[in-house]
Amino acid sequence: MSKELIRLSDCVVQFDDEIVLDHLNLYINDKEFLTLLGPSGCGKTTTLRIIGGFQKPTSGDVFFDGRRCNDLPPYKRQVNTVFQKYALFTHLNIFENVAFGLRIAKVPESEIARRVEEALELVNLPGYGKRSVSSLSGGQQQRVAIARAIVNRPQVLLLDEPLAALDLKLRKDMQVELKRIQREVGITFIYVTHDQEEALTMSDTVVVMDKGNIQQIGTPEDIYNEPKNAFVADFIGESNIIDATMPEDRVVKMYGKKFPCLDGGFAPNEPVDVVIRPEDIDIVPVEEGQITGAVTEVTFKGMHYDIIVDFNGFKWLIQTTDYSPEGARIGVKIDPDGFHIMRKSQYSGKFGDYSSYSEAYDELNVDADAGMEGEDE
Amino acid sequence: MKKTNSVFNRAFTFLVFLFLYAPIFLLIIFSFNQNNSNVAWGGFSFHWYRELFQNRIIMRSLYTTLLVSLLSTVIATIAGTFAAIGFYGLRRRARNALTTVNNIPMMNADIVTGVAMCLFFVGFFHLWSDLAGWINSIQSLVILPTRLTLGFPTLLIAHITFNIPYVLLSVSPKLRQLDKNLIDAAQDLGCTWFQAFYKVILPEIKPGIISGALTAFTMSIDDFIISYFTAGSSSSTLAMTIYGMTKKRVSPEINAISTILFVSVLLLLAVINIREAHMEKVSLRRQAMPATQSASQRKFSPTLRKLAKAAAAFACVGVLIVAGVGAVHNTQQPVVNVCSWGEYIDEELITQFEEETGILVNYQTSESNEALYSLLKSGAGDYDVIVPSDYMISQLIEEGMLEKLDYSKIPNFSLMDDRFKNLPYDPANEYTVPYTWGTVGIIYNTTMVEAPPDSWNVMFDDRYAGNVLMFRNSRDAMAIALLYLGYDLNTTDPTQLRQAADLIADAKSRGVYQAFVMDEIFLKMESGNAAIGPYYAGDYLTMAENNPDLAFVVPKEGSNWFVDAMCVLKDAPHYEEAMAWINFIASTEANLANMDSIWYASPNREALEQYPAYYEGLYDEPLDQETYDIIAAPNEVLDRCQSYVSLPAETRRLYNELWIRLGT
Repeated sequence: MSKELIRLSDCVVQFDDEIVLDHLNLYINDKEFLTLLGPSGCGKTTTLRIIGGFQKPTSGDVFFDGRRCNDLPPYKRQVNTVFQKYALFTHLNIFENVAFGLRIAKVPESEIARRVEEALELVNLPGYGKRSVSSLSGGQQQRVAIARAIVNRPQVLLLDEPLAALDLKLRKDMQVELKRIQREVGITFIYVTHDQEEALTMSDTVVVMDKGNIQQIGTPEDIYNEPKNAFVADFIGESNIIDATMPEDRVVKMYGKKFPCLDGGFAPNEPVDVVIRPEDIDIVPVEEGQITGAVTEVTFKGMHYDIIVDFNGFKWLIQTTDYSPEGARIGVKIDPDGFHIMRKSQYSGKFGDYSSYSEAYDELNVDADAGMEGEDE
Repeated sequence: MKKTNSVFNRAFTFLVFLFLYAPIFLLIIFSFNQNNSNVAWGGFSFHWYRELFQNRIIMRSLYTTLLVSLLSTVIATIAGTFAAIGFYGLRRRARNALTTVNNIPMMNADIVTGVAMCLFFVGFFHLWSDLAGWINSIQSLVILPTRLTLGFPTLLIAHITFNIPYVLLSVSPKLRQLDKNLIDAAQDLGCTWFQAFYKVILPEIKPGIISGALTAFTMSIDDFIISYFTAGSSSSTLAMTIYGMTKKRVSPEINAISTILFVSVLLLLAVINIREAHMEKVSLRRQAMPATQSASQRKFSPTLRKLAKAAAAFACVGVLIVAGVGAVHNTQQPVVNVCSWGEYIDEELITQFEEETGILVNYQTSESNEALYSLLKSGAGDYDVIVPSDYMISQLIEEGMLEKLDYSKIPNFSLMDDRFKNLPYDPANEYTVPYTWGTVGIIYNTTMVEAPPDSWNVMFDDRYAGNVLMFRNSRDAMAIALLYLGYDLNTTDPTQLRQAADLIADAKSRGVYQAFVMDEIFLKMESGNAAIGPYYAGDYLTMAENNPDLAFVVPKEGSNWFVDAMCVLKDAPHYEEAMAWINFIASTEANLANMDSIWYASPNREALEQYPAYYEGLYDEPLDQETYDIIAAPNEVLDRCQSYVSLPAETRRLYNELWIRLGT
């Protein structure tokens, strides 16, 4: 990767008694696509607003290109933002919306015309200049918002859940589009989302946050395959998290049985959390299984089935293409690389049990997401 | 089935619109009537519009109305917009509470707002006068005026106050609809906070601001009640003037001004609608237009728009300057505030006086002596010259509310007939110059009575039940009953007074009276809505001009003869101007003009003698002796008449009590 562009050093943000950011340290490289990922209230939008200059940290420093910029107002930063609900100016047409920043900067008229048209082409809206904001669809408005930010040639583009208001299909298209735009203009994108799939699809680096703290920083693969704690494991994808101990390196003990695994470096018999991804579990006949359990629930998901299996009172989620009827006893087999061992953390025991799993769970999640958008500001 | 339904629907719609607009159309039609009737069509003419533009009272109140509406709209729009922005920045609970508080003045009855403001201003003036007096007494650097009065500034403040909520109400939703990140977005794109405000927030909420301003302007033009209580004696809005004019009858002039008001509002609405439709069309066209084609136009439109904006700004500033200069001009010109009765002066005289002396006359009217008295007592009536009747004058003198006149400045006083000097209400003649005199009698419609009445008994008789009008003021009404009963009309005997009140109450309960009226009698008698009504002789002649079937008699039991005289209120702010006005009105010329215009007898000796000749010179026909006798009652009629004297406080209280019990 290239050189460091932005650094947040020991940043604290506090509203009244509520700590929103808790001694955050983060650096962002030039030209990278970095995503701040976390649930509502985790501090991701606040982090973004600090970088944009809309929010001053209560304590701590912000460096831009090596210079401290805590007190620099937004209009003096080489940063532009795409807001969640677009924040387009409805009294201006598309052209004037995109040209807004250039006019403020007193760019010559001929150059404005050229750059606006370029920006509109970049977001696939060539020739839309004379239209009014209200005549565009949500996706088109979002593209205008991107063009309006990009046209100023910022060093960093901040995107605050820009796709949250779009429907699923459009969101997927826009993810690809955003990645393409980022490659074409070659600048740093800092992207805020609560959608882990979005984060994994687009990012070079993912920063998982919770309660004002960074839980893990890494590439999407790292985050998914090597979660640092139960929170990250649960937030990124589906995880069965089981209490276990490490009797020795490369051996994990759970349900009183020992399983071979690839991890090591723990104290003998150290209590640990074991993450087993639902897709890493193979269903085998009972007699061949490392452990056995009873199927309590089966849900058809299209490409696979979600099966809930009861192992000694602890319910696992297994994703499989093989159908097993409810009530059937099955055996499961897990390859050594299917185990991921984590040290105990404050999140241990809070995630990874599918006892309460049901169809309603998904819907609850969707509602929570919707609620998040409002509160996060 | 469907067809009949739609026919029915259309007919129904038509009826609804007819119901809504028929009165207005009637009014518009009769504003073009040649004669002054609201019933009979006398041919098409612009006569009343010409009259209207020559009517200085209407023109001045129109100016006041426009000025106060424009200024209050501008100020309220600015204040309301900033208030809305302030509200927007508040936390939700505080904002909701404040919004409710903001809404209350709009829901509140205007009369409550009006009275409250009047009380507030008057109270403040009292405080101020103490404070200013104290400040003046401890230093001599700045002399503060100690005497503040209701007038244009208070009117303006009142209008601004009731306009702000409307602006707030129409701007707030626009702000709430705004994307929360809009200011952030503008700042993000390089705006400072102030730039963000006026480049983004202001244009985004502009439709709300404009509609708020238009609402405020309409409300301002529309307002009557609040203006009535806060305008004081020196300014009067169009609505107030129209109201004052309708006291007697709805003259075609009022039709004309109402038509103009109606058409103006219609035009205003049309402009707004066309503007909106145009904007919609433009945005539609913009969508349809390919960008390449429109790129060439881009260069011009901002320039044009800038020009238009600059022009609009200049126009606004211009209006404000003119308004400001007008307001200043108004305050610097010497003025005199006069309060008289409705249609009680030849209005030419006001213009003439203003031209001759350069003194501006604020001419207001009051309904009755009693109404005037309570207005003065409340402290809201801030007049210089008033024209009360005899008995009220003695009461005012008794209570020390009048100022002595400087007769050296009123040489025309010597022209007054001796009969009207040193009368009981002002024995030493120190306070008054008589204005008019006359008698009270019965006005009747000859086509509606069996025989010409000659006694007050028709006022209590079932014969004309439902067709009789009665005075809506205690003194005149009680006098009729007392005379009918054979008592003295100045009696203080409680038994006699109670008897008289019972007589009226009894007739009222039997449904003899159609209504208790003052100046409404004009309309009712002229239109033939009532058969009998007691009123003043001069007013009878005015009515007879419009309805030749009317006749007048001073009943055999006797009646009241009255003198109305000009007096100056204690501490009148324009004493010198008041002297000039009184002297001008006392002149023979003015008395002749007044006598001809209002048909009340003049107290001026020369005018009384010269009037028949003056009439002949004006109309080329001799003045009917009978008419002259009604104007200026001959001595045999005056012999059976008596003037009112001021009653002792105890009797006045009894009058009040009896009158309230009567419940007119």
